[in-house]
Amino acid sequence: MPSLTPYENPAYFIMLAVAFIPIVIGMLWGKRFHWYEILVSLFFILLTFGGPKFEQGIALIGYLVYEVILVSLYNLYRKKKNDTWVFIIAVLLAIAPLVVVKLTPLLQTGAASIIGFLGISYLTFKAVQTVMEIRDGVLKDFNPWFFLQFMAFFPTISSGPIDRYRRFKKDYDTVPDREKYLGMLEKGLHYIFLGFVYKFMLSYFFGTYLYPKVQHIALQSHGLSWGLLGVMYVYSFYLFFDFAGYSLFAVATSYFMGIETPMNFNQPFKSRNIKEFWNRWHMTLSFWFRDYVYMRLVFFFMKHKTFKNPKTTANITYILNMLLMGFWHGETWYYILYGLIHGVALVVNDWWLGFKKKNPGRFPHNKFTEYFAIFITFNFVCFTFLVFSGFLDKLFFH
Amino acid sequence: MGKKLWMIFGPLVVAAVVLIGLLFSPFKINRINSIIEKQAATSLSPNILKGDSVKKAALSKKYYVPFFGSSEFSRFDLTHPSVISEKYDWNFRPFLMGAAGTQSLTHFFQMQGVNKQLKNKKAVFVISPQWFVKNGADPQAFSFYFSQLQAVNFLQNQTGNESDRYAARRLLKISRGTEGTNSEVTGALQKVSQGKKLSGTEKTYLKYYKRLLSHEDQLFSDFSLKGGNEDKVNKQLKNLPDNESDSLIRQAITKQAKQQTSSNNFGIKNSFYNQRLKKRIKSFKGMEKNFNYTKSPEFSDFQLVLNQFAKDNTDVLFIIPPVNEKWAKYVGLSENMLNGFNKKINYQLKSQGFNNIVDLSKDGSKRYFMQDTIHLGWNGWFAVDQKIKSFIDEDSKNETHQLNDKFYDTTWQKLDPRDLNTYIKDN
Repeated sequence: MPSLTPYENPAYFIMLAVAFIPIVIGMLWGKRFHWYEILVSLFFILLTFGGPKFEQGIALIGYLVYEVILVSLYNLYRKKKNDTWVFIIAVLLAIAPLVVVKLTPLLQTGAASIIGFLGISYLTFKAVQTVMEIRDGVLKDFNPWFFLQFMAFFPTISSGPIDRYRRFKKDYDTVPDREKYLGMLEKGLHYIFLGFVYKFMLSYFFGTYLYPKVQHIALQSHGLSWGLLGVMYVYSFYLFFDFAGYSLFAVATSYFMGIETPMNFNQPFKSRNIKEFWNRWHMTLSFWFRDYVYMRLVFFFMKHKTFKNPKTTANITYILNMLLMGFWHGETWYYILYGLIHGVALVVNDWWLGFKKKNPGRFPHNKFTEYFAIFITFNFVCFTFLVFSGFLDKLFFH
Repeated sequence: MGKKLWMIFGPLVVAAVVLIGLLFSPFKINRINSIIEKQAATSLSPNILKGDSVKKAALSKKYYVPFFGSSEFSRFDLTHPSVISEKYDWNFRPFLMGAAGTQSLTHFFQMQGVNKQLKNKKAVFVISPQWFVKNGADPQAFSFYFSQLQAVNFLQNQTGNESDRYAARRLLKISRGTEGTNSEVTGALQKVSQGKKLSGTEKTYLKYYKRLLSHEDQLFSDFSLKGGNEDKVNKQLKNLPDNESDSLIRQAITKQAKQQTSSNNFGIKNSFYNQRLKKRIKSFKGMEKNFNYTKSPEFSDFQLVLNQFAKDNTDVLFIIPPVNEKWAKYVGLSENMLNGFNKKINYQLKSQGFNNIVDLSKDGSKRYFMQDTIHLGWNGWFAVDQKIKSFIDEDSKNETHQLNDKFYDTTWQKLDPRDLNTYIKDN
């Protein structure tokens, strides 16, 4: 049994196309074959986590069982009582496997945890989100069997986009009408081919072809150099086209199954400021952090009047939020610094927008200033991606 | 709905049909022209060795003579065969089919696609003693020049004899752990190595897989060709006298070589010496005293090549280059060992009827004979050029070959040259 990383080679796409024929025909006639969808999901999960990667497969099964039991128990508890400490423990338990996986390389010098598998962080986001919505009382009809299918929805299992329980359920329980579904097929196919251009042409060109070359140039001249600038831009484009390409595949695959998985990218390099950037870059992740970390921290601080000034509250929370995202990426100095820089950037951005508002007419606003803002934001973002890439670690410390 | 569905999926279906047709059709996509052939002849590019289309196109002409060898081909000085044949417009040009890291096994597999073109053709083969190290060909270097097309060609050519079984075994061993190997091909190789016949399904699979690979090769193998080496050749042309006179050429050689070896006493080209040796020159002293080129699996890999030449009735001129003697003394390379290697390789060639041998192993002390430590240059190339020219000009002697499978045995690979006489008596 071979093992295929999702969306990485022609065979995977051909298998997808064949497996989807009954689904598409069913959908066009207003029918959803749930049992067949489950079989297809199982097949593709097995394809990703089977064969030589069976250890990851076992870790995935163990993880899913654990999370389903945990969230189900919390749901039972929440129907009777609503203590904050129980909620906090439930959240901590839900992220515990991810914390172990993220800390293992740090504590055991680079070793990978045996409970880890491709996509564990994305599943954790879904689980935590479900716990929080149960706590809020907005998710009343929690169903463990459906929760399992939500978690293990194969198109997005390895790297998102991160969907939400209730949104997913709405799509899952209905069949889009023919007109709408035809539109989804059209969009889906378009996304797949756009994804081919992104992932197999542009990402290959930047990542596989150019990146080693500029890295080599940068490593030959120590410290700051034109080569390093090359690394910065080349890596940034690679990162975007690789991840955006993957996300397009995941969204398109969902569309074929009649599920409108949210988009992950919306032309991020066109952003005029850093806040706009986070509304366009890895959107499902940044919205998740906005809804389940940022907003909740702000409410918590306001409720407890931790800081006098609402601005201070917002600023501190920005930094905490982005730092946490940095830690989530991995326990290395460059991921954490990346988070910190973005946190500070959001604070500065807010201050600047406020300053402009207080001084109307002091700064010109025209096409040129807009392009200038895009230029500044783009270069700043690329710089943070250079930090993120870990190349500086290689350049300075190895 | 049908119309809408067709608007969505129609283009995909059409594109898929066209692509499948293009890749799996039996037709040849011919886009190799004489400009590509000329570039490829000196390109030393791995894509050329990996593919078939460019080699096939060039070697089907009498004008191009295949030159098998390795890193010496990249020494484009004024008497390099590609330069001198161009300058004096000889009636042939070398088609260089080797580069740094290519050894017998690479040559055997790259020949698999051009057997038809090698039939009754003349060829030159430069044997480097340095290939014959303890473990033979380096897996990484091998994989750099290896392609699935070569493997499929081999599988289609093989008849299951001793030599084919050895080749399959050897290929499986050297490519173990490399990425991008096709599992069906690996399975078929395993069968051949065990002396089993391939099934009809396997043969059909190979047939269509080969069409796919050939079309990829026809479409893309010349993509990364650059005229870099062609420029090197052209730059050297003006260093040769316009008159093809031996004494004038020798003068030109001395002029260029003297100027380019001024930095050291070994007669090594300045650029090579300064870049690779100068900094660590002390550490080289005596470094190679335990080097041994007499016991190696390469002897059997080389037998594969001989076997193929005999099968194709190719008329081959073998060249055994020397080692720069001053350098050999400095690094402590044993003369005795080199003589032993020579004895062994000569026996393997002559006992099987390969008698066109230019043995230069005693010429390592001649002035400007080598361009660096082990690579032919200047006078060395010129000596080779003259032999090659007369070899190409004369009619093919129909050599008869008596091939012997004993050269695939480890006994032969590991035979100490001192025991050669006993070995001959016993076998």
